[in-house]
Formats: sequence, structure tokens, C-alpha cells
Amino acid sequence: MDPETFRHDLTAWLDANADELTPPYGSSGSMDEHMAHYSQVKRALFDAGFGRYGWPESVGGLGGSPLLRAIVGEEINFRDLADPNAWTMIEVLAPTVIDFAPPELSARLVPPFLRGDEMWCQGFSEPDAGSDLASLSCRAAKTDGGWVVNGQKVWTSFIEYSQRCVLLVRTGESDSTHRGITALLVDVDSPGISFSPIETMHGRRDFAEVRFDDVFVPEERMLGEENGGWQVAMDILPYERSTTFWHRGALLHRRFSDLVAQVSASGNYGDAAAQAVGQVLLSIVAFRSRSRDTQHRLASGQPLGVETSIDKILITSAEQQLFETARDLLPGVIEFDDGAEAAMWRTDYLYSKAASIYGGTAEIQRNIVARRLLDLGPES
Amino acid sequence: MSAPIDADDLALLAASFESVMADAPGPGEADQALNDLGWPDLLAAAPGPAAAMAFGALGTTGSAATLLDDLVVHALGLPISPDICVVFPGDLHTDPAAPQPGAPPDPSEGDFLVVNGLVSSRIDRASTVVVVEEQEYGPVSSTVDAGLLQKPAVTGVDPAHAYRHLSARIPPDALTPLATGGFWEEAMTMARAALAHQLIGGARWMLAEARQHAIDRVQFGRPVASFQAIRHKLAESLVQIEGAASVAEACLDDPDPLLAALAKSLAGRAALTTATHAQQVLAGIGFTAEHRFHHWLKRTLVLDTLFGSSKSLPTEIGRDLLIYGTVPRLIQL
Repeated sequence: MDPETFRHDLTAWLDANADELTPPYGSSGSMDEHMAHYSQVKRALFDAGFGRYGWPESVGGLGGSPLLRAIVGEEINFRDLADPNAWTMIEVLAPTVIDFAPPELSARLVPPFLRGDEMWCQGFSEPDAGSDLASLSCRAAKTDGGWVVNGQKVWTSFIEYSQRCVLLVRTGESDSTHRGITALLVDVDSPGISFSPIETMHGRRDFAEVRFDDVFVPEERMLGEENGGWQVAMDILPYERSTTFWHRGALLHRRFSDLVAQVSASGNYGDAAAQAVGQVLLSIVAFRSRSRDTQHRLASGQPLGVETSIDKILITSAEQQLFETARDLLPGVIEFDDGAEAAMWRTDYLYSKAASIYGGTAEIQRNIVARRLLDLGPES
Repeated sequence: MSAPIDADDLALLAASFESVMADAPGPGEADQALNDLGWPDLLAAAPGPAAAMAFGALGTTGSAATLLDDLVVHALGLPISPDICVVFPGDLHTDPAAPQPGAPPDPSEGDFLVVNGLVSSRIDRASTVVVVEEQEYGPVSSTVDAGLLQKPAVTGVDPAHAYRHLSARIPPDALTPLATGGFWEEAMTMARAALAHQLIGGARWMLAEARQHAIDRVQFGRPVASFQAIRHKLAESLVQIEGAASVAEACLDDPDPLLAALAKSLAGRAALTTATHAQQVLAGIGFTAEHRFHHWLKRTLVLDTLFGSSKSLPTEIGRDLLIYGTVPRLIQL
């Protein structure tokens, strides 16, 4: 199906079903409400077919270009129909699981995720392994028929609502760095897994710390090769940086439109406001254009790699510039105002501070650009 | 217009253009050589791809060829000719000698029009000059006999480029409106997209120079490229260049005035950032007249000014957004 026809049919369907799809909690809502609504929207799109395009038939999809998935997430985010981070988890995790899991495993586990019946989470970072992910120490020891996992993970989003977790564990010697890591697909209800939420500065509880105490994982839950987990982790990055970024770009566009509408209504057409608004548009358009190029490369089957660090830096800069500009042009709103709209600006402003930290910090991205794209040789 | 040239042909042409531009010392020689290479036919056949290729080459070689005049002249429906020179808009102060807006006309001087803009070195030999007036219903392009204009001398920061500030008064009856006067916006869109390619070409040249210097220059017993502070400046330059380049490329498929203005602004922003970072990385040698860096820095300042700068264009664009209160959805999958 060609993308334009697809978008046309999709938007018509979204308009026709707006009552069912619009979040009942308005612009606020608890985590439970967000997740319940996310599942409902995901299910409705699956049943209507739109949520199945761009996914292989082997996991319950209807095939077609991955561009179609990018379009669905874009329209969901333009309309604010579902929690953006929940929506995008499947884009981060499922393509890599399809690439690396035995076909019968992905055929069994991915469809409920696609239908919105399940949520999955990601166990990568650890208290002592953030930017230096290859130093992770959560250990899996071989046992009869599988692995026994012991250790800790952190910054795991949505685990409270999740059925599966894509987990990176140490299976080589403790100093084996990226050569001794294995990826496992773990059931979150396995005995020995416990977690506690992390309260963040933007007032949400998306993240958790997770403990693994003698957690048994059957050997058929290994993704890729033993000690080949680094490859799995690296496979995730391009997916995270194509479709997921495109979705987030749509969210930034919506919030930018909100800002322009509010400043416009306040009658502030002065040079400073106009300049600031124009500069934000530049950054958003630069990101969207770059991200579109990346989407098309992905859709045409070209491999994506380190050059997506540029996409990451562009979206981070655009996001932070947008919400700093919101603070400048809506004076006092973030600092003092009550009400749902102010709360949204406050939450988004504070959350934008994480953009240069999660998914590889701004500094790590610039290190990658310097080493791999500019070929500047080793760092001192 | 559809492009009858494919990507391979264009790449070959780009190499020929770059070599001609690098060899021709002045704008006159460069223009002649590019003419011999078939630039007018190429421009007429496929204006968008031709401009992207040729202006990218102008940027990387630092050539002062006056292709911008050809581009605008062609977009206005005039014949491509070295005898025609265009007065380009730029971010300029008003000449103090010219009457201020709103000032009562001086009856002793009679009725006249003020022409204020930038002209290329073509002004020295052109017989016809194209000027644009903002009128109530939009811009109107006209031609005027070059003999009526006093040619400004070459001054300013980038004399090799030979762009100069023209500010003149002419009698209104000296203007011959173009039958195609309504095409100015299309000409401006083309020009901004082309200048974006030129700025990006220049930025890539500056980044390449700074990168090589960082690798070759040893201090404290190691290449300065090994220091993170240097690496991050160069990385930031590349990120901005690639973001701008993507939008400039998008203009090829979608000759939208807003997109071209955004591409021009982004390219100016990227080139200015790269110039600042490259200057710092080149350090002492980059401050000398001997190193060629300063030519690109100065060229960047001039190109950023032409057809609206990376500061003035976003202000204009931002004001439109605020007046309408909505943001158009640019860049579709």
C-alpha cells in the first residue's frame, strides 16, 4: 500500500473514531489511565488493520513498508491519542526480537504486543553501567536447560505494566566487555524479579530499578548467539533512531504548534518572540528532514548505523530548544501556574532535560560522530 | 521541469565544474569557462539539480563566479546573458544619503525611486539591470538601463567575491516592468535554495580544513584531534551541516518558498557555526592571511546576508507563524 493512500485512509478512520480514541483523562491522567488507554488505542488500530501494516505476516502483521508504522505513530502523536513513550516501545524492541529470536518464538510472543494486549520493557542500563554499557555486570550463569540471572537493572520503563523484558546479561568473564554479553527475552512474572519505581523530577513514575535474584530463563529465550548480545543491542539502535524518533518529532511538532497558538493568542508578535519561534522551527525542520531521509533508507533496506547519531543530536537539540523557548515566551507559566496546560508545559520542560541523557548522552553521540564519521582517530 | 540528467551525469559535471572554478582566477574568467562547459543549457534544462550542483561547487571551491545572476534571470523568464545583472535583496542598513521611509519627498530633486541592494561583479559590464520593487500587491520586477546607475566600487570584507552594496536613485520612467514580474517569488525561492547549497559547500570545506589541521597539529605530544573539546566542536559542525544539507536537498523535490527560506537560514546557521569552530581549531594559522580559511569565513558572512540572513529570515518566518497562530506541517514521509 502506498504511504499517501495509507495516511489518507488512516486519518479518515482516526477522525471517524475520535470519540473512542481520544483519551478520557484530558491532558493529565494517572499512569494506570495512560496505560489502559494506550492498550485500547493499540487494539482498535490492530482490529481496523492499520496497526498491522509494516509488520511481517509471521508476527501477525499485514506486511508492507515500515514507513506505514512511522505514519501511524506520527498521526497518533499529532493528535495526542496515546502515551508517546508507551506507543513507541514496540518500535524499539519488536524489530530486533524479530531479527534475532527463533521464528517460532517471535511468532508466538510478538502478536500480543502488536495487539496492545501486552507491554514489553528493556533491561540494559545498570547502576554502574550507563554510558559505558559494555561494562554491565548483571550475570547469567548456565544451568540445566537455561540460565540463572542475578543482578540489577535501572531506568527500565513500564516494567510494572510489562509481560516481557529484553535483557542484556554478562555471560563471559567479568572483564569481557562487549564480547561477553548475551541478550535474553525474559518473562517479567518469573520468580525472583522484583522492582521499585523511580520517582523522576518531572513527577512521573515511568522508570524502575529491577532486581534479579536467581531468576531462571529457559535457553530458548536467548536472542542471537551466546555472547552475541552486543550485536543485538546495536541492532536496536537504528530502529530506535528511525521510527521512534519520527514519532517523537511529531510530538515536538504538536507542542510547537501549541506554543505558537498560545503566544499568538497573547498578541506577542515582537521581534524577540518571532526570532525565537523561527529558530525553533528551523531546528524541528532540520530534524524532520534528516529523520525522513533515515526513514527512507530503512524502508529501502539499507543498513542504518552510526550516522544516526546525527539524528539523535538533532532531535535532542530541537526538543530542548523548543521547551526553553516555551519557558521564555510563556513567562512564569512553568514556574508558577496551576491548571492542566501549565502542568503539561512544566512536565515537558522538565522531561526535555533527559533528552540529552537517555539513549546515549549528548557527549557520547558527539564522541561517536568525531570518531566514526569524522575519523579523528583515538581520543586522548 | 523534469530533469533530463541522471545522478551519475551530475556527479561528472560537478567534478568538471569544480575543476574549472578552482582554475579560473576571477569571476569574469570563471563565468566564461562555465559558459563554455554548458552551464546555461544545464540551467535551462534542469534548474533545481543544476543549481544544487553548481552552487555546491561554488561553495567548496570558493569561486566568485556570478551564477546567481543567471539563476534569477532565468527564473524571471529572461534570457541567460552576461549582460544582465540583478540587484539582490540583502540585510542592509539604509544608505544615509537615501531618503528615510516616510520622509517627505524633496521637491527640488523631483520624483525618483530608491534602488537598494547587492550586486555582483557583473555590474561592471552589464548593460541591463534587474530591480525589484515591493508594491501593494507584491513584488514587481523591472529592468533598467545600466548606464543610469553609478557603479559602486569594490569594497567590503570580501573583495575577491566582488559583491557590493548598490544604493541609487532613478527616475521611475526609467523602469520597464517585466511581463513576467509575478515570478519574483519563484526566483527568490530558487536563489535561496541555491545559496543554501553554496553555504553548505563552504561549510564542508571549512570543516575539512579544520579536521585535517586537528589531525596534523601536534601539541603536548599528541594530535590536537585527540582532545575532546576539539572533537566536539567539529562534531557539532558536522551535525548542523547535515541537518541543513537535508533540508536543502528537500528543496529540490519541493520548491516551496517557506522550505527554501528555512534551508537558507539553516545553511547560514550551520556555516557560521562551522566558521567559528573551524577558526578556533585552526587557531593561529587560521588567523593569518596566508591560510585560505579567511576567504571562506568572509564569503560566509556575505552569503548569509544575501536574500535574508540566518537571523532575519527566521524572524520573518516566526512572525508569520505568530500572526496566523498555526504551524504548517512541513516535510512529509
